[in-house]
Amino acid sequence: MPLLEKPELVRKLRNFRKHVISNNGEIGIKQRGIDMNLNNACNLRCKHCFTNSPKGERAKERLSDEVISRIADEAHELGIFEWDLQGGELLLQPDKLFDSIKAIGTDRFYMYLTTNGYFMTEEIAITLRDLGINRVSVSIDSIHPKEHDEFRGRKNSWEKAIKALEIVQKVGLTPYLNITVGHYNATSDDVRALFQLSKDKKYTTLVNVATPSGMWNQVDDVMVDDDDKAHLIELRKEFKNVIRNLWNPFDPKREAVMGCNTVNRLYITPLGDVLPCPYVHIKIGNVYEASLREISENAFRIRQFRENSKLCLAGEDKEFFKNYMNFPGTSIFNPKDAFEIFSNDDVLPEGAIKLPVLND
Amino acid sequence: MSQSMQKYIDAFEKALGIEKMNIGVSLAYNSLPEWDSLGHMALVSEIEEAFAVQFSTEEVIEFSDFKKGLEILGLKGQNF
Repeated sequence: MPLLEKPELVRKLRNFRKHVISNNGEIGIKQRGIDMNLNNACNLRCKHCFTNSPKGERAKERLSDEVISRIADEAHELGIFEWDLQGGELLLQPDKLFDSIKAIGTDRFYMYLTTNGYFMTEEIAITLRDLGINRVSVSIDSIHPKEHDEFRGRKNSWEKAIKALEIVQKVGLTPYLNITVGHYNATSDDVRALFQLSKDKKYTTLVNVATPSGMWNQVDDVMVDDDDKAHLIELRKEFKNVIRNLWNPFDPKREAVMGCNTVNRLYITPLGDVLPCPYVHIKIGNVYEASLREISENAFRIRQFRENSKLCLAGEDKEFFKNYMNFPGTSIFNPKDAFEIFSNDDVLPEGAIKLPVLND
Repeated sequence: MSQSMQKYIDAFEKALGIEKMNIGVSLAYNSLPEWDSLGHMALVSEIEEAFAVQFSTEEVIEFSDFKKGLEILGLKGQNF
């Protein structure tokens, strides 16, 4: 079901744009997305995995479809318009993935699947499309197959990823080539070549900056520096098909930064824990204990999540990392409690934040 | 080329950040990465501002290609 056949989604997208424009181009406390880790099992062993899949953490846990359905209703009510299904690798168990997609009610959301592409087939892609998925994002780490395969810990993973993008494009899904960019590769010819490949193939490039979390917990030298960031902005202008979640997608000059998306895009683990984003392993609530509205309103009481940050807190803000992420052993399954690590001076009183209900 | 057509093409150029030479009747939603879901919202807003009109949600959905946009604007009294 293409975007233009989803009227509720169009309405929410328009509201989001109106909000960003009226808020001086900043995202503020307007929420936009759900990043849902349905299941953490994975067939690859990626060096940078932020969910610790290579360690096999919580590989059997999964949210029930009933809970997913309730979360979707709550997200819709908050005006949330996009939903990223991720893992682990969800195509390890495609039938379970399909059931979860049905539980969401895809006609209300811009739906996407983030996958390593290894198990993608045309039959699966068609089913995803027919269930209302709009886009499939496939992560690629290098233009060189050998380097990608080494990074991912499995032979032929590059070839499968490239093939997956071709398949999803062929069946009419929107293909996204995801690239993780850190200080180790930001200005490299390799990253530039990947950008070029994506443009030549008419894909969209999504840049995720490397973060010191998960398998790279406390490895802060992967974080991009000012020169790397400036280089990414140059690539954004040059290639035009490149996005980052904190860039303002409505700026035709491709310069403006909308702000870090913490709490604007909620990350939900298979245990139901809610984190402000996939990479900040700080718990702000649990879907079994509170509604998304309650969790979000509580989390926005925290100054660091409420105030606009032009830096990605997890991947660019070294002060934030040093003060709130630099702990051994934290992970998406062992997050720090938000209300234990932020000082009282940084937290507004209970009830101070009220998010609007969905309206036109 | 009429002034209205020039304004219409300018809206595409400004909202989607694409070259004028790529703007024409073959252009459709999702036919290039720039005209994706968020690009679509930017484009609608740019056209609304340029022509001082409002698209309904139904019209936002119907606006699936270059020609369809002209039809919608035609129904709002614009001549091309």
